[in-house]
Amino acid sequence: MAPQQTLLIILLAPLAAASLIALVGRRKGLLSAGISVGSAAVQMLLTLSLLYGSWKGEPITASVEWLHIGALNVNLGFYLTPLAGMLLFVVTFVGFCIHLFAIGYSDDDEARGRFFGGLSIFMFSMTGIVLSSSLFMIFIFWELVGFSSYMLIGHYLARPSAAAAAKKAFIVNRVGDFGFLIGIIWCFWHYGTTDLATLESIMHANPVLLTTGTATAIALCLFCGVLGKSAQMPLHVWLPDAMEGPTPVSALIHAATMVAAGVYLLGRIWFVYSPSALQVVAVVGTVTAAYAAFCAFGVKDIKKILAYSTLSQLGYLVAAFALGTLYAMQHGDHGLTGVGTAHFHLTTHAFFKALMFLGAGSVIHACHHEQDIFKMGGLLKRMPITAVTFLVGVIAISGIPPFSGFYSKDAILFLAQEENKVIFYILAGTAFLTALYMGRLFFIAFLGSPRSEHVEHAKESSFVMWLPLVVLAILSVVGGFEGIYPEAIKSFLSENVLHPHGAAHQQMLILSLCLGLGGLLLSMLLYFKPASRGNDFLESNLPIVFNILKGRLYFDEFYNFYVAKIQQRFACVVSFLEQVFIQRLMVKGSGSLTGVVGTVIRGVHTGNVRSYAFWFLFGLVLFWVFAIIGF
Amino acid sequence: MSPDYGVFKTFAEANQWLAIWPELAYGTLALLLLMLEVLFPRYKNTLIPRVALTGQAILLVVLAATIRRVASPDAFGELLQFSVTGNIMRVFFAACGLAVCYIGGVYLKRERLPRVEFFHMVMVISAGMMLLVQSTHFIMLFVALETVTISLYLLVSYCRTSVASLEAGFKYLIQGGLSSAILLFGMVLIYGSAGNPLLPGTAGDPLAYSDIRVFFELNAHNYVAVIGALMVVSGVCFKIAAVPFHVWVGDIYQGAPTPVTAFLAVASKASGFIVLLGLVLGPFLPLAYIFKPLLAALAVITILFGNIAGVGQQNVKRIMGMSGIAHAGYLLIGVVAAFSVEMAVSAILFYLFVYMLASFGVFSVMAHVSREDDSIMLLEDYGDLLKDNPFLGSVLVVGLGSLAGIPPLAGFMGKLILFIAAFQAQLYVLLGVAIVGVVISISYYFGWIKAAVFRNPEVEPVHSTLYIPSRTMRVFMGVLTLLTISVGLYQGILSFVF
Repeated sequence: MAPQQTLLIILLAPLAAASLIALVGRRKGLLSAGISVGSAAVQMLLTLSLLYGSWKGEPITASVEWLHIGALNVNLGFYLTPLAGMLLFVVTFVGFCIHLFAIGYSDDDEARGRFFGGLSIFMFSMTGIVLSSSLFMIFIFWELVGFSSYMLIGHYLARPSAAAAAKKAFIVNRVGDFGFLIGIIWCFWHYGTTDLATLESIMHANPVLLTTGTATAIALCLFCGVLGKSAQMPLHVWLPDAMEGPTPVSALIHAATMVAAGVYLLGRIWFVYSPSALQVVAVVGTVTAAYAAFCAFGVKDIKKILAYSTLSQLGYLVAAFALGTLYAMQHGDHGLTGVGTAHFHLTTHAFFKALMFLGAGSVIHACHHEQDIFKMGGLLKRMPITAVTFLVGVIAISGIPPFSGFYSKDAILFLAQEENKVIFYILAGTAFLTALYMGRLFFIAFLGSPRSEHVEHAKESSFVMWLPLVVLAILSVVGGFEGIYPEAIKSFLSENVLHPHGAAHQQMLILSLCLGLGGLLLSMLLYFKPASRGNDFLESNLPIVFNILKGRLYFDEFYNFYVAKIQQRFACVVSFLEQVFIQRLMVKGSGSLTGVVGTVIRGVHTGNVRSYAFWFLFGLVLFWVFAIIGF
Repeated sequence: MSPDYGVFKTFAEANQWLAIWPELAYGTLALLLLMLEVLFPRYKNTLIPRVALTGQAILLVVLAATIRRVASPDAFGELLQFSVTGNIMRVFFAACGLAVCYIGGVYLKRERLPRVEFFHMVMVISAGMMLLVQSTHFIMLFVALETVTISLYLLVSYCRTSVASLEAGFKYLIQGGLSSAILLFGMVLIYGSAGNPLLPGTAGDPLAYSDIRVFFELNAHNYVAVIGALMVVSGVCFKIAAVPFHVWVGDIYQGAPTPVTAFLAVASKASGFIVLLGLVLGPFLPLAYIFKPLLAALAVITILFGNIAGVGQQNVKRIMGMSGIAHAGYLLIGVVAAFSVEMAVSAILFYLFVYMLASFGVFSVMAHVSREDDSIMLLEDYGDLLKDNPFLGSVLVVGLGSLAGIPPLAGFMGKLILFIAAFQAQLYVLLGVAIVGVVISISYYFGWIKAAVFRNPEVEPVHSTLYIPSRTMRVFMGVLTLLTISVGLYQGILSFVF
């Protein structure tokens, strides 16, 4: 089978599964789960066979012409590069693990068919983003993941909060996508193409292009899409709320893959970023990383803590991309340094964050949908596999060697140190905070003694649920070694991820250990006190700080104020004008005018053949008059 | 004395009978049906319709497969000219004929009317239209046109038990006769002028397109000949129902049996457009100074009239009629654009195909949602259709959406490509009018969709009017709908048009 055909099957398998579920499986939960998991398995196996098979990382392209009008030529196609291969690996592998987990998690879900259908649509759309050969095609799938995310966040139809969260996610993403769309159109207008490979060759052939302000503006417009999808400041507000969805969805879409799509987009179009655009991107990423790390102390819901952690890590990724690309520009080599570093961390993050989300899902499922960590406790004894694997995730995200998080985070911190000292200090501080809030989560939820009825009777989850946990835990441990990856990804990583060497290496090692272990130890001191039951350290000792963090720095309030007080009032004025001028005068007016004319015209159709003949002759006379004028 | 068979041989060879094998095949199949009915009267409602449908389906497939194969350009002494466009239109009419027979099957079964004759005439008309669009000689044009028109008179009045149908047939006969007379008179005027040895460029054959063109190039301002050309074009405008030659549409569309209405709305109109294109870009090209502004003006009033008259109609057959007038207006823009932009012809062909897919989708639903009296099909009959029969409902919604030009359906792409051609031809005013027309059209298309999705609480929908489609009908309608959706997404399916 040619690689192009393999890719086509990888792309279409989940779509076929979703259609099949829509046709037959809506009421047959187990059947639809089987179809969906089967399609995910097909995707994973084909991806693995492709990556471990003959493919050595040379770009694979295939396209069909979709639209051809004059100069506008839109192709649909695949563009497989090592980067795309790596993300394909992450999406299909982690996706399959999460699908497997979801079988167990959704056993008490009545709308199981809809749930798995949604997952399959998501897998289709996400694979589409990964493989797309042009910005235009990316946008199509971009919107499709947005739709599937909307559908799955709002999965629990009976909960108004889920509906509100789904709506919020959708609307906030629309704001970002608007900028993204403008960026795409502008890109087409300015560079003449949206095809990624062509765009890259154009940019490389004319490095002067990047020096203009237009280039920066285009890059920033395209970055708007990243702001929305990867939940960067100031469009981050939807991600914590998105935790209303089922936990496997949070793991798959809102932690491991979809939110990473923004970073992946940056990786696909890194060559359009000018230094000044990269500065902006770096600042946005850094601020998001730090902000979210603080917010994580203000929440008690296990999934929301993980959500803020995701936000923070996404900030890391975005900053890593910008810093690495800047570094590459200044040192003139390794054009993909930023992309490689960001995606290395993206990959390891996908492993350990999916692991922790699934762990949280396992806990939530066992505790009858209890999500407050202060009502948990003592889960280590009751759910040993979940607890141990979760601990692996905590250590990995804290960046303690030799777990995977260390290697990827270490590369990012090294870049920051080389590039910008301020950003370096902020990111290092964030790393410390990460270890601290993760320790808080682990010590409160898993150690100590149970603090509620449901938790008392929690039992280890079933095989299909803990198997993915174990697999992901193993990957979270070894994911930092490039040797485990297929040839193409391995060479991509070893060429493009910049690891410190010699003294710098030791320095980073010590720093990481201090930050990670220090954070965990401090959290142990602060939160691991069997005596203080159900009390948050910050809440009881520094309530003001806690409340500010709980309020997420009042972004939502600001947006609500803006929407309710400014936009709504403006809309009222516009609506009034619309009512008077457009609705009354133009629509109703033209409608009634058309109606009157229509009545008159229908009067022409008398049904009388003789009058019809006169009409005909009348037309002929008109023709004649016309001809006379022409003479 | 033994007969000289050599003459026949030369005759046969010179005329390239093989080049018109599709038309001959259709004629043969049509005759075969009649023969089969005489021989096996017992099977007239079972086997014979199947023969008709299968035969047409096979012909359609073969025609589509050989679409690029063009016989030597002209034959029969310039009577016909073969081209890829001609082949494309052969496929078009073959598809139309097949679709009309499918929809006709539903209708004839319900009205207990004989089927074999209906299928026979549909096939004769298909063959006639194929010849019509390929003719490059006025004699051929007229003969083919009359073959089509006379058979259509019969089809329009096919339901002998229905007063509406008979009345419509009679009206069509009178008006069609009038238009044919004027068309013929125009030809005569051209014949007379072009054959006048006193004028420069006297034609050797004053009825052949090529000779007429040479004549008009030298006599572009010859009064009599120009009047003749105008009369010919007005006769064609009758076929395409351009305003002011459209008055017949309402009554005849309403009275004719639904499948015949579909035939008139799609195939007859399309053949008219191809003939019009052939005329104004062929023999009448030197008269572009008249025809370009004339057709542009015609397009404006046709679009505005069709759309405005569509608003407020309650009878869905009339809605289809009025909307068909509007579509003719959009296509006229394409014809005007074709004077200066080459791609406009492809755009027109593409538009015709998507119009066919969507129209037959809608008409096939109409054939299922019908009262006893086929001429009274009201919007209120469609109440709750989407709920009562989701299949019919969605076929209808997709078809109407495509006609209205809602993305991502095929109709949107058809309009887009046509408008791009017009844009390239710098017909900005016409584009503006067309967009106004499209906006107005949304009102009646969506009114219909609304009627099908919701229910007018004051009117009890007449549920007895709903006929459940058979499995083959479902396949047929499903194919139309899927094509409408997929052509909207990927135009390569119709790549043969370009």
